[in-house]
Amino acid sequence: MAGSDQKRWQVVEPEGGLWVPSRRGLVMGAAGVVLASALSACGGGSAPAPSGATGAAGSPKKGGNFRLGVTGGGSKDMMDGQNIVTKPDQARLVTAFETLLEFDDDYQLQTTGLAESVHADNPTQYTIKLRDGITFQNGKPLTADDVIYSLQRIGTQANGLTGFAATATMDIKNLKKVDKLTVQLPLLSPDSTIPQTLASYTFGMVPVGYKAFKGDPSTQIGTGAYKLKSFTPGQESVHERYDGYWRDSWFDSVTITDFSDSTAQINALKGGQIDAMTDLPANQVNAIKSSGVEALISQTGGWIPICMAIDMAPFNDPKVRQAMRLIVDRQQILDQIGSGYGQIANDLYSPFDEGYDKDLPQRQQDIAQAKSLLKSAGKEGLTVDLHTTNGASGMVELASVFASQAKAAGVNITVKNDPNYYGDAYLKLAFSVDFWGTRGYLNQVQQGSLPNSPYNETHWPPKSGEGSNFGDLYQQALRETDTNKRIEIQHEMQKAEYDIGGYIIPYFNSLIDGHSTKVAGLKPSKGTLNLAGFGHGFRTIWFS
Amino acid sequence: MSQAETAPALAEGVDVPTPSVRSTALLARSLRLWRTRIGVLFTLILVLIALLGPLMAPHASDKFIAKPFSSGSASGTVFGTDYLGYDVLSRFLYGGRGILVTALVSTVIGVVLGVVIGLVAAYARNALDDVLMRLMDVIMAFPQIMLALVAVSLVGAKNSVIVLAIALTTAPRVARVARGAAQPVVERDFIGATEAMGLSRVRILFGELLPNILGPMMVEATLRLTYSIAVIAALAFLGLAANPDAANWGIMIQKNQVALASEPWGALLPILAIALLTMGTGLIGDGIARTAAGIDRERGDA
Amino acid sequence: MKWLRGGGIAGFIVRRLLLGLLVLFLVSVIVFVSTQLLGDPARAILGRDATPDRLAALQKQLNLDSSKVGQYFHWLGGLLHGDLGTSLASSQPVTSVLGSRIANSAVLVVLAAVVSVPVSIAIGSYAALRREKSFDTVTSNLMLLLAALPEFVVAVLLVILLSTNVFHLLPAISPVPPGTHAWQYPDELVMPVATLVIAVAPYVSRIMRASMIEVLESDYVEMARLKGLPERTVLIRHALPNAIGPVFQVIAINLAYLAGGVVVIESVFNYPGIGLGLVDAVTNHDIPVVQALAMLIAAVYVVLNLLADVATILVTPRLRTRL
Repeated sequence: MAGSDQKRWQVVEPEGGLWVPSRRGLVMGAAGVVLASALSACGGGSAPAPSGATGAAGSPKKGGNFRLGVTGGGSKDMMDGQNIVTKPDQARLVTAFETLLEFDDDYQLQTTGLAESVHADNPTQYTIKLRDGITFQNGKPLTADDVIYSLQRIGTQANGLTGFAATATMDIKNLKKVDKLTVQLPLLSPDSTIPQTLASYTFGMVPVGYKAFKGDPSTQIGTGAYKLKSFTPGQESVHERYDGYWRDSWFDSVTITDFSDSTAQINALKGGQIDAMTDLPANQVNAIKSSGVEALISQTGGWIPICMAIDMAPFNDPKVRQAMRLIVDRQQILDQIGSGYGQIANDLYSPFDEGYDKDLPQRQQDIAQAKSLLKSAGKEGLTVDLHTTNGASGMVELASVFASQAKAAGVNITVKNDPNYYGDAYLKLAFSVDFWGTRGYLNQVQQGSLPNSPYNETHWPPKSGEGSNFGDLYQQALRETDTNKRIEIQHEMQKAEYDIGGYIIPYFNSLIDGHSTKVAGLKPSKGTLNLAGFGHGFRTIWFS
Repeated sequence: MSQAETAPALAEGVDVPTPSVRSTALLARSLRLWRTRIGVLFTLILVLIALLGPLMAPHASDKFIAKPFSSGSASGTVFGTDYLGYDVLSRFLYGGRGILVTALVSTVIGVVLGVVIGLVAAYARNALDDVLMRLMDVIMAFPQIMLALVAVSLVGAKNSVIVLAIALTTAPRVARVARGAAQPVVERDFIGATEAMGLSRVRILFGELLPNILGPMMVEATLRLTYSIAVIAALAFLGLAANPDAANWGIMIQKNQVALASEPWGALLPILAIALLTMGTGLIGDGIARTAAGIDRERGDA
Repeated sequence: MKWLRGGGIAGFIVRRLLLGLLVLFLVSVIVFVSTQLLGDPARAILGRDATPDRLAALQKQLNLDSSKVGQYFHWLGGLLHGDLGTSLASSQPVTSVLGSRIANSAVLVVLAAVVSVPVSIAIGSYAALRREKSFDTVTSNLMLLLAALPEFVVAVLLVILLSTNVFHLLPAISPVPPGTHAWQYPDELVMPVATLVIAVAPYVSRIMRASMIEVLESDYVEMARLKGLPERTVLIRHALPNAIGPVFQVIAINLAYLAGGVVVIESVFNYPGIGLGLVDAVTNHDIPVVQALAMLIAAVYVVLNLLADVATILVTPRLRTRL
């Protein structure tokens, strides 16, 4: 189903990633301080030496065809500067399209992108100022008109683009061109997440009149380092260097190949037929080291939750939900499924958010307590189906491992691996496994934990009693310009989710990718895209 | 495996050698051949492992031992750990039952169905024969693995779906062989005699015809069993198994093959087991076929 | 068929052709009915955006508002005109989606046939001549072993041996880039073809051996020998043609099997053929592509069987005379 596949990948990316910048107040400061103005000096034509150059690799060199193998694609692959369906789409998008703002490897906002500043004039208006001298791959300069066209294209629901939901607070119709390089973005209501939204990769800037790939590579004109040469969905795309690119890039060309499974991918990497691969299985990290291949391990905030619908039996009883959360041996799950690569979680999401409550006690396995909770709920010897699918790696294994752990508490779980899960049953199940990528807290709440959220698996929040004010708290937090006060509100929200929420979140997984030793310039990133944002649009990596 | 010796060619009018002895005698005589004995030995060993393995396993099939793909010495086990950190040896000992039972059940259903259709077609000698065999042609036009793949993707990887898909694709292949083997028997005088005696059709089909084609049918059944095992293993290899992380040889191969180069046992043990089992049933079928051919030859010479 | 006897070889071929068409017609009915289980294609295309009005518009566009029987004949009509519809996943015509995949798989299957058929006929015949001698024993047991290894095991072992771990002689995967042809990458074809040959050769050589033994013991070979013909002439002129008949059937079955069974091998080698295409189409609920592939594979089966039947009759002297 189209819907299911969109779900599969779109949630991996932070369309409105809500990382609050470390320099507090920069964005929403009272006087409308220009975001990270100090950094804009490094922009312009002379890009800094690519970050993370590994010592031995030496200085960057030009040349070569970089061959990347990606799993998770198929005949639904597409190319669109502002949309993705499958994982290879992500890699292809960043070859040619760039955003106004960018995240660095610590997931902090930077003005290294197409805009030299994004200025909050007041709580309901931003001013975007473009860097001068940037051209599209057909030589046409990037102007305010392109920015307006790009944002309006995303904000038009009929276009069905990934980022549409994140434009809800933007007054898309009233975008205003101030001059050739300046755009005014008015808001319908205050939204402190606008800069993060503008930095998410599905907010790529496209030229006026742009349309998605329909068979003609020459229509795919962005400002990025590589220009599409050929593309066959489900198989392969070739991208050639754009000589007029405004920053440095090193490869002559990039070839992105679809793979149907990771064993073939690993073999190709070992045999030298590709230079890098996405999603190396965690249990292969040690095995590949002997064959001239390296693993790039990035701790992300991605998570694979077991979801209990709080309004469906038997999980409509908070005691049962609590018991389930006490059954989990988190360290063992991390070792079994992530081979130890990842971080123990505490049934809460968005660990990198500054509003993430680290003070809530780490929940431990407690079978005796789980049993007594089940007993007092009258659910001893509970038998229940746990639905899962081969959506993201680990989803099926997590269900199986949890089922075997639950036996200790006398809970009988049958794992149902359903190929049509996202098409037919998704969001209607009492007990299911899902997956999410790195996001800021408020944006994640908007995606999955409000009554009108598109992907609310747990049917959170409760209609009455504890937690029923969750939605109100969210609105308050979104409007709150004082960071400390916002964090306080977020803590209150998390407390409710921690106590009686529907998610079991055992661990935050790592992104693990493989690459040959001759690829230089890669270093771990907290971002959501593989291979450190695919080598930041394939421009900060090179062959040593 | 030994289709030429027993199976009819598809073309009209190609002759089929049919052994003219009863099955028990055939079996006993085939056991004089070394290959049959080795085949029986292989099959017995594997069946015993599959049946009794769970009793001998050092660990439960879902007891976490050490990090995934730890070596034997690092994890204190004989063959190391698998993709989820479980003991490979224990998973192997637990994993035979599932695949063997699924293969056996689906093959038996398919063979019984096929023999009945084949016998009815051969005995009918009229339009019914044509209709039945064309229907078989239609089903055979879908390769086994493809039909199973589509069925499993549509309905989900349930055991019942896998069994049905394999049984359904096994039946027409068996039916052709059964019909081919039964046709010459139908022409013989004694069938006419039984008809004259007023025996019921069912009695004629299963009391008179069936015993005369048991030889080739036994060979065909062992051959089909081998195919069924291979198809189930291939489905598991493509990630389509009923219980995705159960201890099961097919799943073991699929999930552990990624480590074949570093920690091979997780995939190698089930590969060896399936190979030995297939060779075993193959050798038995081969032995029976050779014996049958030998008996015919002796008769011909006499 | 009994109501259509006679007519010699031509009559035989005509009868077989008609039968083949009948089978294909029935196959088309089954394919159409069973793919209805995949659900409403309009809903599959729209996914989350399946609002009632958009759904209705698309259903009309896809001709889904007519009756099932009407849809079937519309589809069948398109099929007969070479119009296989439009892929739901990629919005491209099915013919252009599958064109290169079909060519790629055909290259694999044909190469596998060209290599495996002569080799296994030679091995089988020689083993029959040397019955119960060492060559026979060694090859029969080797073939038994090879037949016992599932093909994905053979493929995985070949990769480990020849490309990733022991030797680094051949490419580990065979991703024929779009716009190029499989035969431009001979080194990438070696392992997939070798795997298929190993999957097919055991069966064909065993049948050849058995068939040859039977013929060698027949009266006419005995007669030819008694006439004092040289052994060579006896073998090539008299034994081989009669022995090879049943083998055609087995070759046909095995090639038809390959046409569908390449799924696993294409997956191991990431080879863009119809096998991977089928897996992709099934996971994406891409009904037109599934239907086209099912019909294609069934047609291959029917045609190969037809060819095998005709070839059997033509080469086997004792059958030719019966027509």
